[in-house]
Amino acid sequence: MRLLLAEDDPELSARLGRFLGRQGFAVDSCTDGVETEFSGRETAYDVIVLDLGLPKRPGLDVLANWRKAGVKTPVLILTARDTWQEKVQGLQQGADDYLTKPFREEELLARLQSLIRRNTQTVGEALSINDWVLDEATQSVSRQGERWELTGIEFRLLRYFMLHPGHILSKSRLTEHVYEQDADKDSNVIEVYVNRLRQKLGNEVITTKRGQGYVFGKLP
Amino acid sequence: MTSLRSRLGIGLVASLVVMIGLLWLMVGQSVEILLEQQMASRLAHDGEALLGGMRIEADGRVLLQGRRIPGIYQQPYSGHYFQVEAGGQATRSRSLWDAMLPVPDVEVGETRIDYVTGPQQQPLLLWARGYQKQGREVRIAVAEDLLALKEGIAQFRWQLAAWSLAMVLILLLIQQYIVIRSLRPVSAAAADIERLEHGEISALPEQVPKEVRPLVQAINRLLERQRQRLQRSREALGNLAHTIKTPLTLLQQLAREKLAEADPATYEQLEHYSRQINERVNQSLRRARLAGDGLGVGRFDLKQDLPVLVDTLNRLHRERSITLRTRFNDIRQLPLEQQDGMELLGNLLDNAWKWAASTVSLTLSGPEPLTLIVEDDGPGVDAAAMQSLAQRGVRQDENLPGHGIGLSIVRNLVDEIGGEMTFSASESLGGLQVKIHLGRRA
Repeated sequence: MRLLLAEDDPELSARLGRFLGRQGFAVDSCTDGVETEFSGRETAYDVIVLDLGLPKRPGLDVLANWRKAGVKTPVLILTARDTWQEKVQGLQQGADDYLTKPFREEELLARLQSLIRRNTQTVGEALSINDWVLDEATQSVSRQGERWELTGIEFRLLRYFMLHPGHILSKSRLTEHVYEQDADKDSNVIEVYVNRLRQKLGNEVITTKRGQGYVFGKLP
Repeated sequence: MTSLRSRLGIGLVASLVVMIGLLWLMVGQSVEILLEQQMASRLAHDGEALLGGMRIEADGRVLLQGRRIPGIYQQPYSGHYFQVEAGGQATRSRSLWDAMLPVPDVEVGETRIDYVTGPQQQPLLLWARGYQKQGREVRIAVAEDLLALKEGIAQFRWQLAAWSLAMVLILLLIQQYIVIRSLRPVSAAAADIERLEHGEISALPEQVPKEVRPLVQAINRLLERQRQRLQRSREALGNLAHTIKTPLTLLQQLAREKLAEADPATYEQLEHYSRQINERVNQSLRRARLAGDGLGVGRFDLKQDLPVLVDTLNRLHRERSITLRTRFNDIRQLPLEQQDGMELLGNLLDNAWKWAASTVSLTLSGPEPLTLIVEDDGPGVDAAAMQSLAQRGVRQDENLPGHGIGLSIVRNLVDEIGGEMTFSASESLGGLQVKIHLGRRA
């Protein structure tokens, strides 16, 4: 899950980045409005956390510009401004959720997970496809009573697969959604991790579409 | 007397009465003078005729040729008299009977006109002149009764007074009409200000006569400045919230991370105080943000602002599907500034949304005082909790059983705005019913 974190306070941004990273997000951070707008437009993020009080360009303008430009990424507004007027404005500009400071990190995580699930049209608490159940809290996967622990990257990769079951996912798309902006983007690494998942969970869990990419589960 | 109209009216009446009164006096006087002059010249004519028709005998007797004397001088006390004096003898008209005219001592060539009293107390105008005839001094006096003329003049004066009065009345009506017409823009401006007060318009129309325009423009400038000030102060408050809340977030998160397990007691305290800071700040900011009942601020419009709010609530509570039933009873606006109304209804409905099973209802009645009832079909609140909700000045950090801080925010807002808020069980929906009276504020 690739996440854009737009927060102007460096301390809070760093903390949140670390926290979300531990929760399996590939986090890119921006500290001003102009940079945020550019990143959100240019990169296919899965979710964006947007502070309204950004320097250079107000968060609401950034959001409005994204929506005008057709950026449909779900946006959670994270702000100190807690009036209803501002909530209404934020959601009418196209935000999907609104969280006011001070907040608990767990609250933010829960909201983000529900946003992502809503956006990928999966309902229910746990992510579950073809008997495979992904536990986001423990970053593990289980099937018919059996349980496998996953490393950070494995978890990110499997979650992306499970959120898009049946879709052909190219290596570059997977790279984009699993890694941060600054990470070394060698698409061969994806191959390595796909193989690790296959070793852990069995070959049939991910099918290779030659020249196109991978598909979660068997091809129909 | 502060009414412009009555002031103008009184001024106009006074000036008209003085003007027309003076005119009446002048005209009456002039007519009297003119008529008397006319009479005097007629008397002079008659006098000249007498002189022409007289002869003085050698013994000094005066002979008048009767043919040349008009008949009116022959009737006793007819009001027309003459008296000719020559050499100590006086010859009188028959009309004088045995009375005498008080002829003044006029020299030859001298003319005098006098008011005298004649026979039977008649007021007379007397013309007298001295002549030289056949080598002797002759004084001729001719007089006429003024009574008829005076009566005529008095009658004329009455008529003139009646006409003048009628004229005053007509002019007054015309002037009242002009005054009302000219003051109409002022009344229109007053009506506009009334509409401004009711929030129907946010600025006064400036298509007014140029005497009123500076006033209207000044008011509009003032309103604009007030709006800008409100906006600036709200922005500043938002920034303040931003600068306080971010460190507060960090404080709470650090405390949780470092102390939640290592030193739970200290963590609890830190958590408690930082929550207190947050809520106090929120409460103050919310109060400072209220626009109150300022003129020219946009009102919360039920047709425009409510759907947006409801849409927002539905987005925020996406997992629930709540239907809002509304009954507005022809009310189109809340008597609250738009953002104030958004804050009040936002918190009120958000609370209802949280607890409702499927339906929330919003009923408005009024307009003065405006009553706002929000009901839900949730579990409701028991009597004890209802009582604690009803308490004035319940602080936001005191948790209300069954309902979150939303209602205490509403409670504070309503207190601040100057309204009444009561809680009861909803009869129609079974959950909580919140009833708010928004009284008219001066």
